[in-house]
Amino acid sequence: MSDPIKVGDILPETVIGPFDAPSLVRYAEVSGDANPLHLDDAVAAAIGLAAPPVHGMKLLAAFEPMLRAWRGDLVIASIAGKFVQPILRGETVRLSGRVLRATENEIFVRLVAYGAARAPGIVGEATLRPRLAT
Amino acid sequence: MPSDPPLALGPFRLRVDPARAAAYAQETGGDGASVPLAYPAVWLAEPSLFSVVQDVCAKRDVVPVHESQSFFYDAPLVAGESYDLSVTMSSEETPPRLTMVGTVATPEGEPCARIETILRLVPRAGFGSAS
Repeated sequence: MSDPIKVGDILPETVIGPFDAPSLVRYAEVSGDANPLHLDDAVAAAIGLAAPPVHGMKLLAAFEPMLRAWRGDLVIASIAGKFVQPILRGETVRLSGRVLRATENEIFVRLVAYGAARAPGIVGEATLRPRLAT
Repeated sequence: MPSDPPLALGPFRLRVDPARAAAYAQETGGDGASVPLAYPAVWLAEPSLFSVVQDVCAKRDVVPVHESQSFFYDAPLVAGESYDLSVTMSSEETPPRLTMVGTVATPEGEPCARIETILRLVPRAGFGSAS
């Protein structure tokens, strides 16, 4: 039986990346998001970025395996994120999570992704529920 | 402040392509055992839908920047199955942004998911050829 989840519980941190240019090209191809901002150094430089930013969705989606690894006995009912500031190609990304609310039927987790900057790149949230017996 | 009446788009009949779902999982750290929760993001890039966003942006001479994304699930998507995606797109002037709220349902009408995409609209100047 899994341990009960409490407010304030910290999820094991997950480190992903750094993502290189071919990785961003592959994500662009599979997602259909071919915005050159993520692929073209010159476009990124034109708005003052040192390198193209990683697609925000590529990073937000990476929280799902982190949540599943944390508690496979729960179902993820929702996941959401605000793309606060760009995380750039070549940066290592740390994914963190903290339980903000916990009831018998629902767990609410704050999610944060950090790149090289001290400020978060993504601030998100997820709702998890007990898996129904079948 | 809304600037235009909301625009209803679809429903679009879309399929969870198993190979694409597996590739999406691989590129986002998943094991491919299930359809990634974020997979509907690929549907938002479908030409039938994204062309509407491109038209709005072209008229305003702006580029869309992904500001936030949400997925709310009633039931998981299944690889190989088809779904109907209906989208309501609304715009605001202050700050300038597009909000797209999509509902995903089975062809029989059973709701599966709700997705919300907010795109900040940024002046094209400085973005080069980004679109």
